[in-house]
Amino acid sequence: MNKQTKVWLVISIALSVVLAAACGGGATNTTNAPANTESAGATAYSGSTGSVTGVISFNGAAPASRKIDTSADPACGQKSPNLTADDIVVKDGKLANTFVYVKEGTVEGGKKITDYAWSTPTTAVNLDQNGCQYKPHVLGVQVNQKLSVTNSDPTQHNVHPTPKLNPEWNQTQANGAPPIEKTFARPEVLIPVKCNQHPWMKAYVGVMRHPFFAVSGEDGTFEIKGLPPGNYTVVAWKEGGANGTEKNMQVTVPANGSAKADFAFGEGATTSLNPSLKMMPALEIPLRH
Amino acid sequence: MADSPAPGESLVKREAEAPANDPIVSRSTSGWMLVCALLLTISIAWALWDEAFGQRPWKGMQREFVARYTRYLDSIKANAGRSEAEIKESPEYLQLDAEYKAAEELVMPEVKQIDTEVARVQKKLDAVTDPFQNQRGRLTVINYYVETSTGSAQERYRREAEEKKQETIEVAMPADNGHAAGTQQFNYAQLEKLYDELREQKAQNLGRKAELLKAPSELRKKRDDYLKNQLIGLGPAAIEGLKAKMANYDYSILGHQISVNAYNIVDRCEVCHAGIREPLELTPASLAPDKPGGEPDRLARAFVSHPKREILAVHSPEKFGCASCHWGNGRATTNETKGHGRHRFWLWPMFEKENTEAGCQQCHARDRVTDGADTLNLGRDLFAERGCVGCHRYEGFDRETDALGAARQQIGQLVDQITGNEKQIRANEQTGGDPNTTEEQVKRLLAQSESLRVTNSLLEARIDQLNLQTKYLMQDQKKVGPNLKDVRVKLRKEWVPYWLENPQGFRPGTKMPTFWRFAAPLDDSHGKLRDKDAPQQIQAIAAYLWQDSFDLKLPEQQRGDAGKGKQLFETRGCLACHSTGEGDSKMGGSFAANLQRVGEKSNFDYIVRWIHNPRERVAPYCPKEKRDLTHEDYAKKNLPFVFDTELHSTCPNDGAELQVQNMTVMPNFRLSEQDSRDIATYLFSLSSQQNYAAAPYMDDPNIKEKGRLLIKQYGCAGCHEIRGFEEEQRIGKELTVEGATPIERLDFALQTHHAQEGEDPLKLRPEAEHKPWYNHKGFFERKIAQPSIYDEGKEKDPKDKLRMPQPYLTPEWRVALTTFLLGSVGTEGSNVPGSLFFNPQDQRRQDIQNGWWVIKKYNCQGCHQLEVGQRSAVQELPFYQTPEGKDLLPPRLTSEGARVDPAWLLKFLHDPSLSGEKTPEQQRQMSALIGSPAAHAQPSPVPRANASASPGASPGASPSANQAAKLPPQPGLDRNGVRPYLQFRMPTFNFSPNELQVLVRFFMAMSGQQDPYIREPMKPLTDQEKITARQMFTSGTPCLKCHITGDPTHDATAIAPNFLLASERLKPEWTFRWLLDPARISPGTAMPTGLFRKEGERWVVNLPNPPASASAYHDDHARLLVRYMFLLNPDEQRQLLAAERSGPMPVATGGARPAMQNHARSRRRRTGFHHRRKPVRAAVGRSAARALLTGYR
Repeated sequence: MNKQTKVWLVISIALSVVLAAACGGGATNTTNAPANTESAGATAYSGSTGSVTGVISFNGAAPASRKIDTSADPACGQKSPNLTADDIVVKDGKLANTFVYVKEGTVEGGKKITDYAWSTPTTAVNLDQNGCQYKPHVLGVQVNQKLSVTNSDPTQHNVHPTPKLNPEWNQTQANGAPPIEKTFARPEVLIPVKCNQHPWMKAYVGVMRHPFFAVSGEDGTFEIKGLPPGNYTVVAWKEGGANGTEKNMQVTVPANGSAKADFAFGEGATTSLNPSLKMMPALEIPLRH
Repeated sequence: MADSPAPGESLVKREAEAPANDPIVSRSTSGWMLVCALLLTISIAWALWDEAFGQRPWKGMQREFVARYTRYLDSIKANAGRSEAEIKESPEYLQLDAEYKAAEELVMPEVKQIDTEVARVQKKLDAVTDPFQNQRGRLTVINYYVETSTGSAQERYRREAEEKKQETIEVAMPADNGHAAGTQQFNYAQLEKLYDELREQKAQNLGRKAELLKAPSELRKKRDDYLKNQLIGLGPAAIEGLKAKMANYDYSILGHQISVNAYNIVDRCEVCHAGIREPLELTPASLAPDKPGGEPDRLARAFVSHPKREILAVHSPEKFGCASCHWGNGRATTNETKGHGRHRFWLWPMFEKENTEAGCQQCHARDRVTDGADTLNLGRDLFAERGCVGCHRYEGFDRETDALGAARQQIGQLVDQITGNEKQIRANEQTGGDPNTTEEQVKRLLAQSESLRVTNSLLEARIDQLNLQTKYLMQDQKKVGPNLKDVRVKLRKEWVPYWLENPQGFRPGTKMPTFWRFAAPLDDSHGKLRDKDAPQQIQAIAAYLWQDSFDLKLPEQQRGDAGKGKQLFETRGCLACHSTGEGDSKMGGSFAANLQRVGEKSNFDYIVRWIHNPRERVAPYCPKEKRDLTHEDYAKKNLPFVFDTELHSTCPNDGAELQVQNMTVMPNFRLSEQDSRDIATYLFSLSSQQNYAAAPYMDDPNIKEKGRLLIKQYGCAGCHEIRGFEEEQRIGKELTVEGATPIERLDFALQTHHAQEGEDPLKLRPEAEHKPWYNHKGFFERKIAQPSIYDEGKEKDPKDKLRMPQPYLTPEWRVALTTFLLGSVGTEGSNVPGSLFFNPQDQRRQDIQNGWWVIKKYNCQGCHQLEVGQRSAVQELPFYQTPEGKDLLPPRLTSEGARVDPAWLLKFLHDPSLSGEKTPEQQRQMSALIGSPAAHAQPSPVPRANASASPGASPGASPSANQAAKLPPQPGLDRNGVRPYLQFRMPTFNFSPNELQVLVRFFMAMSGQQDPYIREPMKPLTDQEKITARQMFTSGTPCLKCHITGDPTHDATAIAPNFLLASERLKPEWTFRWLLDPARISPGTAMPTGLFRKEGERWVVNLPNPPASASAYHDDHARLLVRYMFLLNPDEQRQLLAAERSGPMPVATGGARPAMQNHARSRRRRTGFHHRRKPVRAAVGRSAARALLTGYR
């Protein structure tokens, strides 16, 4: 073996060692990305506000008021002898008990209304059982706001909300028992509340993430206050069927001003309802044979 | 080597001889060397690279996983930390903490004192222990010498021991109570005493300390448990732990390989799928490449945690590995294709995601329902419900037919055995009489004969059992399709060929598959495959069915009220199985037929009769004579033509058990004839009659034989009852282990090339259009989608052509059935060791699986929820979406076994009307109506083709037409046994005792109940307890407001069962829990929560002003009410009701009212009821109410 060969050999071996070392030591790049800190939560809105006002009207003939047969519980008959159904209350062509709320929208400046944090009021909303009827018939609460159910009747009730997105419960409340206080953690439009002992008793609770909702009064009017200026979808919800009937409207709320949103329900104005056994309260349950 | 020259010499010589220009010496090979070295270097480099990376793609993946996971952990840490801090600041936690600290503080001084005392004693003990133990050791040694020596030596040692005991020992005692440390002297006895005393003192003190610390440590545990229970998800400590684990990640295969020596499982799946068993739920988004919550990539999807962790919990990967269930090659780590076993030579390619549950079927092949495997369960449902089982045997499916065959075979064997034994007995007698037989032998022979006689008696008992079984099995045997012996009575003649030609066209989605060999072409490709004589085939089949049908005149029915019929149809429960409407307006269950167009095809009278009682068979079938019996068969024996499952189930000719019912799963809804008419009228109003082409050929006797051969060939009798085919076997391939068929034995026929090239004639998967489908999945999917493609282009004799018709399947159903078939691999084809198969030994699980077969067979889930989370078909109906509608649904059965007494359940399932057996009156009526010969008219004048080619199928075998004016009476007419307030009706299924037993055991097992159930005796109520219970019942907890009492006025608004049923129906333990919180047992129930509140350890009525007697009662109020409820009788209930009406019940007269007075009062009330409501309804309600009362007195 001559000198030249030796040199090549040395070079070869050296090369392979270097290569091997390079291979063995190699590693894929493992860049540890910095810990991601999610946005710490939405901020509260501060600034000028406006409002949405409107009237809910009812086209066509108002349904005749229907008397409720309270014979199943004499205590109800004694307290309110002339109890009438409260599912559609129309006075002078105006519809009461319509739940109006801001469904979605963009606040001036481009942020969504849901991007802001809206604080939960510490005061409870009251739902009273009075004269074997829920008062009010339709109401709204904010997420995690207390709903306080009271019994002003000389008889026992049970309060039975049947939500779809919140847990269902069914709590008995005797005459004179302390209020039942509950909260709902998730927005839901609207949760029906019933009393199994008095099947005609119905209430609806709308649960919202923000405070922009209202219920139309006997004159059909409503007002949603404190809304940041922007473009919104306002929805009016009327009871009936499995999920009620909803109507949408786009409004632009000016700063320190008021937007108008009038809705109409009834004949010619109704959208198709979901198929349902219309009105199936127990007072209409046909008897067994 | 001897003749070789000396080495040195030869070397020198050679050197000298070498040529001057020697190439070896002078020419350089270094160039080649370089090339070789380079090649070597490159190949080594490649080898090293391949070793490090090529073969180890997982290394990079592991690093990536660690990086992403750590990043995700960091992102969630902030929230976790906050929540723990929040809990620690919550008032509940602070109070628990304060309680703990207060308790600890309270005992601390004493504990400290004890500690000092223990320390003092310990010091002394330390000082004493050594000297004492040394001395004891010495004494032991001396004693040993005493024991082993004798004589004087022994005496000497004894003395030595005595001396040792008296020897004084100096002990350096420590300082105590201020006394200075010093030495003390003891002899052995004193020392021993001191030692024992000190130990005793120490133990006492420590015991006291433990006693003192018990309360605080319990409180501390309570506080810590609170924190643990409130902390949802992982706490910061746990997250830090996971991060630390990631920081020290084991980048290897071995660290992540599952190896189960016992079953030879080695799975390395977790080397790449690193997040599978992480305690956090890892979604693809949380491990996205850019940031948690970002857009996930392939790797992120590979790193997720197992999507069904509840399944991993019961199938520990440490025991089962991964590939056992998922298939694929668990050992391969070099690349995805190999690891997933997607290689043509690997026998178990990983199941596609949609078919994952095929893996479950390997081991759970005997299950009817496997929890958590919805797709697989759907596949099994379809296999049974859609009629696959009509042609294809599958072990376990079609249990009755299999069991019937086995039972009949067994009876034959037992009869042979008995005959054999008798022969032996006779032989013994003969031998015994032989004078050559010794007495010893005779005695032995006598003993043997005696034993054989007893054996025969036992065998006869066994045969009795088997005979009974055959009766039950025949009662339970059902067919998927309708009884075609009724064709002539039921259908419009011209409709039959119309239907055969295109069933899906008439009724989209029907179970009846399309027989593409004679059906109308669905598309061009289909038309090519149609048999040349397709129209003739249809004609022949129709002719056979028409000519070999029963023929009789049914009671004529008037049209009823369609509006009322609609209401009945929608509320009684028909929609749990049937649907109406087509396309988007379709409504109802898919278990049974869509009835939209039933009026177009059927005879109104037949449908009324069918709705009235679908099990009502025209004539019984005798399996022994293999023919349908006629009226004459009965008349010959002077018997009325009456057959039912109870007392008239045997053949008058030979006593064999008869098929007395239609083989349908449809139950009897106990409807009146009028209601049946109304419902039929409604159904007939859904569509209008169409004109079909006349079909005179159906009366042509010449084509009947061709029809018979075709029916045999196509296997129609798999799903239908057809005369002459009662004993027909299934025509299809058994599919129990179909998934294990080697791929080359699946007949892809001329599609093989298409399958390998990824060319799909059916375009089943637009998203993966060119994916090769030469595998089991591809074959099955297409075989069930359109079987005819495997006959395309084949030259075949008509009799060899494929017979499998094309079933209606939605894409979802196709996936489910494919999954079921893929997993059907048996023991041989499975990738799981047989010893790991699911084979429940405990009775409870077996009872559950046995029950599922029956539950599914009758579609109990159409109305009821049997498991939490399962939804019934009627729940989805639009009428029941409102809060009021939900209260009208059939009861949930999730805790049925815990709720009801099994004996009662048996009774109820047998007769859900709870009306008892048939009254003699009803029996007489039945005989009078259909039994007496006078009620029968002459055979119908309809002309019939009498030339019959098939044996046993002569038209003469049809029963003589009876012309009863009315349908038979309906036992339990219009009654709901438990919930009369529901419009839904629990129908009478006519279960055999076998199925009744299976169902009861199923419900008991589902609720984990003991079987048999032995009722605890109920402690009688004292007078005082009675008064208390009454007051609680009526005052604040007005139970009777909602519960039925049997008084129609009251019951008009009642929505809950009668308390009088409780004692027989319910279990007291369940009732107690129900009273406390019904929503926990049946979510959404009308029964409210909060009737009782806990006061200490007992439950008391939750009233602001409880009745005085309740306040004075110091036991559990809820338990008292349960006892009261179970001891309630009708009189007591009437009094309660009266009391509720007239205010609180007077305490003193409560139990003492004369019963007569109460009767009179309730009668008055009922009379008043008459005036206010429709008389008919009131009368029915009243009689039902009375029956309820009298039935449970």
